[in-house]
Amino acid sequence: MAYFMVVLLDDKRMEKIKGTELEDKIQYMFGGELRCLNVEVSEELKDKILQEFDTARIDSRGAITDVPVAFMRELFNQVAEKKSLGPEVIEGVLAKVNEIKEMAAKESEYLPPPNIEV
Amino acid sequence: MSSLLIQRPLPHGGRLVERVIRDKEAAKKMIKGCPSYDIKPTLHYETGVPVRNVYREIMSICYGFFSPVEGSMKQAEVERILKERRLLNDWIFPYPLVFDISKEDYKKLGVGAGDRLVLNLKGKPFAILDIEEVWEIDNPEELAHKTFGTPEDNPEVVKERFNKKHPGWVIYRSLQPIVLAGKYTIINEPKFRPPFDRFWYPPRKAREEFDKRGWRTVICHQTRNVPHVGHEFLMKNAAYTGDVEPCHGILVNAIIGVKRRGDYPDEAIVEGHEAVNKGGYIKPERHLVSMCLWDMRYGNPLESLLHGIIRQNMGCTHHMFGRDHAAVGEYYDKWATQILWTKGIPSFGFPAPPTDVPYGLQIRPQNMREFSYCPTCKEMAYSETCGHKREKLSGSFLRGMVAEGVQPPSIIMRPEVYKVIVKWWKHFGYPFCNEKYVINKEKELEVDLEDL
Repeated sequence: MAYFMVVLLDDKRMEKIKGTELEDKIQYMFGGELRCLNVEVSEELKDKILQEFDTARIDSRGAITDVPVAFMRELFNQVAEKKSLGPEVIEGVLAKVNEIKEMAAKESEYLPPPNIEV
Repeated sequence: MSSLLIQRPLPHGGRLVERVIRDKEAAKKMIKGCPSYDIKPTLHYETGVPVRNVYREIMSICYGFFSPVEGSMKQAEVERILKERRLLNDWIFPYPLVFDISKEDYKKLGVGAGDRLVLNLKGKPFAILDIEEVWEIDNPEELAHKTFGTPEDNPEVVKERFNKKHPGWVIYRSLQPIVLAGKYTIINEPKFRPPFDRFWYPPRKAREEFDKRGWRTVICHQTRNVPHVGHEFLMKNAAYTGDVEPCHGILVNAIIGVKRRGDYPDEAIVEGHEAVNKGGYIKPERHLVSMCLWDMRYGNPLESLLHGIIRQNMGCTHHMFGRDHAAVGEYYDKWATQILWTKGIPSFGFPAPPTDVPYGLQIRPQNMREFSYCPTCKEMAYSETCGHKREKLSGSFLRGMVAEGVQPPSIIMRPEVYKVIVKWWKHFGYPFCNEKYVINKEKELEVDLEDL
């Protein structure tokens, strides 16, 4: 099974990858309502992620999900910095695993809710 | 009347168990002079975090969700369940259910067979346990393994040995050693707090509600999640089964209890489903949201058996089962539940499906595959009929999107449902169950009790 992680792109993130080759790799999902980039994950890196983050799981598509928000933010940072979707992106994220875990410890207590009327 | 019409099944075991005393004076007389015990949550054997509260089992037993079970099980009954998944009266049942206490508490209480014990909840008398037998769990780890099966003993469906990463296994591993076995009776009905109060349809009330709505055929959708559009399409399309016409009703039955970290809060689950009918995506006349108290064991085929029992007792004629039903991790085959309901699982005591064995179930399974978005058809499409490449929906993917603060497009989550998530996110400061939510919830529970 091929594993991957989905990086969602909102307008702010689109700005940061503007003019790079990544723009050609944008995928449109759900009738074009959602833009994203797919980062490939090898078997070995998948195991490392599952080992480091016990909330992480693999969904029915082979996507690795439920990692801390801090992980996902760093994932985008690495994608934008390296202008790549290759293995060096996940390696770059895992190099900051302690920093991510520190931030994740706080985010398991509180995440700011979106500012929408309910 | 056409012979093709399906009639509502009797409760499992032939009659609905109802063990609730509503006359307070009678209740007071029943407990006069009896010793009492404050119900304690079951704590994780390593971390000390709550993983179960037996009050939920007492509620589900006494209101008849688990009919014909009437109380905490004797040793012989537990042994028979682990071997054959049958109660001592022969009716099928998947899990041991026990009232367990520590040796220290047992010594302090000084009770034995023939005694009546008053069970207090949140400091108020709640139920009684008429003790018929006291027995000891020698090896909780062995009990946990036997409860869920092993790859050696159940090779048809168990793929991986259970361990402490499995929340259901942890519940059995964390049980206290002394079991007080006997029948429970609720003597002081708890009152559900909002929003749970409006979703409380115990079996008798559910059956009455179906009558009121003119629902002869009802299909149940089991849930422990807020609904995305894939769930909505599963419900709508599974309901096309029935007999000479589609099912009259769709019963959403949410399991309320201790959840895994990362699941949605129970409040968001029930209100999220309600938002589907309030938003008109499924007409409220055809859709009813309800709940059952149970700390999920995540036992895939075994859990599906319990779900079948609960929903037959509630009066449903059909039950939807999908991939990885009530599963966590990859311990079971992802289609284990559908294997059980179509072929049986001999090593679990089912040489045939649970509907085709003596003392089995009458509820009909409706085994479903998946709905996902098809960019070619430009609609939600069924995996077994659409021939295009589709974009799969997954709850985990959606959770990630929600956590990142990205509103899912309405083609995958209705905006009304998302608003419910954000409403409870603002309330709890977090969109999902976290340690704080679980600990607070287990302190407050879903109910309050009045003085007796």
